[in-house]
Amino acid sequence: MAVKVVNWLDERLGLLSIYNLVFDRKVPKVNWWFTLGSASLFLFVVQGITGVFLSVYYVPDPEKAYSSIQYIMNGVAFGWLIRGIHHWGATLMVIFVFIHMLRTFFMGAYKYPREITWVTGVVLLLATLGMGFTGYLLPWNQRAYWATTVGTAIAGTVPVVGDFILRILRGGNDLSAVTLARFFSVHIWFLPVVIVGLISVHMYLVVRLGISSEPKDEAE
Amino acid sequence: MNEEQKQAYLEDYKQEKEKGVKFYPDIIYKDLIVAFALFLLLVGLAIYVGVAAEPPADPSDSSYIPRPEWYFLFLFQLLKYFPGQIEWVGTVIIPTIAVLALLLLPFYDRSPFRHWKKRKVATAIMSIVVIGMVALTVLAAVSTPPQEEVAFATTITDKIVLGQDVYSIHCVECHGAEGEGGEIVGVEGLEGVFLKSISSQDEMYTRSDDTFFAIIDYGQPDLGMPPYGLGYGGELTRGEIDAIVNFMRYTWDDRVEIPEEAAQAGAIPELGPNEIPSYEVHIEPIVKRYCVSCHRPGKKNNNYLMRSFQETMETGDNAPNVIPGDLNSNNILMMNRQEIEAGGPMPPTRALKPELIVIFEKWVLGGAPETAEEAAALSPTEEPTAPITEETEVSP
Repeated sequence: MAVKVVNWLDERLGLLSIYNLVFDRKVPKVNWWFTLGSASLFLFVVQGITGVFLSVYYVPDPEKAYSSIQYIMNGVAFGWLIRGIHHWGATLMVIFVFIHMLRTFFMGAYKYPREITWVTGVVLLLATLGMGFTGYLLPWNQRAYWATTVGTAIAGTVPVVGDFILRILRGGNDLSAVTLARFFSVHIWFLPVVIVGLISVHMYLVVRLGISSEPKDEAE
Repeated sequence: MNEEQKQAYLEDYKQEKEKGVKFYPDIIYKDLIVAFALFLLLVGLAIYVGVAAEPPADPSDSSYIPRPEWYFLFLFQLLKYFPGQIEWVGTVIIPTIAVLALLLLPFYDRSPFRHWKKRKVATAIMSIVVIGMVALTVLAAVSTPPQEEVAFATTITDKIVLGQDVYSIHCVECHGAEGEGGEIVGVEGLEGVFLKSISSQDEMYTRSDDTFFAIIDYGQPDLGMPPYGLGYGGELTRGEIDAIVNFMRYTWDDRVEIPEEAAQAGAIPELGPNEIPSYEVHIEPIVKRYCVSCHRPGKKNNNYLMRSFQETMETGDNAPNVIPGDLNSNNILMMNRQEIEAGGPMPPTRALKPELIVIFEKWVLGGAPETAEEAAALSPTEEPTAPITEETEVSP
């Protein structure tokens, strides 16, 4: 019976060929450092799931953002847990993506034929930092407000166009409801879409090219 | 890399693959272990460390020391070395070079070697950069002064309790401890002004929380009420004003019920029949609520400050105002509405409730002890210092 179901599905979806292509392939034997990529992916998925749950109650409005988070922490069942995981997940994700980059660098894994994998990875690292920067403002507490004030002010120091960039980031001269709306939107739409897209390319390449092998200190 | 080297690499990689393992289960298995460990770590952090509570954003409170998320600290620190005119070197040039160097790495590093022993320059540069980033992060963390603890409350109960404390300091001198108003005595610039009650039904039923907030924040300068919000030159944060509003609403509005916990926290501790009161348990809450608003620095009070036990006992132009064992102490006489050399009745507008004066008198008479232990030691009925004997155990 089970075989019949699998066969029926496979005839239509081609699951077996995916299995053969992705799961049943041979890869070099590697050490634990090579789990950093999948760990980063896992953390992104965790951030995605907890983030979706948080967006149910979070209100991106200066008047309500703070109290909506108070409500998540005190009123919603396990809201504190979801927020706690999202909060710490952000820190861990930055660490893991960064170390993943270092591992790739020190093992020379960015070299032929994996140049594009590297480029997408660097953009993913920047996008992760962008997620951290935009997400930091959302609780609309003192820490968030002043960190973002200083953070966006840095853009204002760019010669000639600095003021223009600053106004784009803040949606005005000062932090306001517009800033919060922009950061929120970038945090939950723009950057996640970019990240999902790049992860797809990144992983397609990893499967297509195979994970790099541990570099050998050969004297060939 | 030239064609030959590429072919050599692919050939070598093919061999590695043949000697290797299957993606499923070998690799997946390791990945799942790591993912599971990470999940446990996250749940553990969420449960045992949690997210630090922070006061709400207050654009008017520029005393707050901005600190970016920790993984941006190194950048923050780097900028300090490029002050003034050359700031953009730190904010634009260096980050741009770093990002481009990283992004284009595979296109300018074209050597075929992968092991670090044959890439010593690259390895050294990256190591120095990483060590530099860590060092800058540590420097930033160490050199940023600690944030002054700001009182703020998140639950209703905490807000009410905090609100009462803030109200007691800033509002009582004019509005009275129960918001009863009356003639203002002893407040510079407002001497003799007559205030209506702010705790009446009239007031509570016709003014929203937002109105209260605005009045405290902006003041009503034409009526003599100064602004209290930081944004208008006052000294209260938005969180503190919000706390005052909550305190007023829950304490004075008879349509809302004050949470049990808040009522208990705000209540003045009762005194047992033969108990000698202590400063820390009984007197401090009274002083805090009824006296400190005027008896703090910068107010008209003959330099008598009452913010601590020490100050209560020792300060003032007519010190000592509390003489242990003596009911003719200045404080007691004045509380009993007598006009003496040290000054007039205290508090000036309305007498303390008799039961509070009794606590004060018992305290002075009992020797004005500071701590609960000292008070217990002075209490006549109990002998806590006596060792427990068999007799005491038998006695009912």
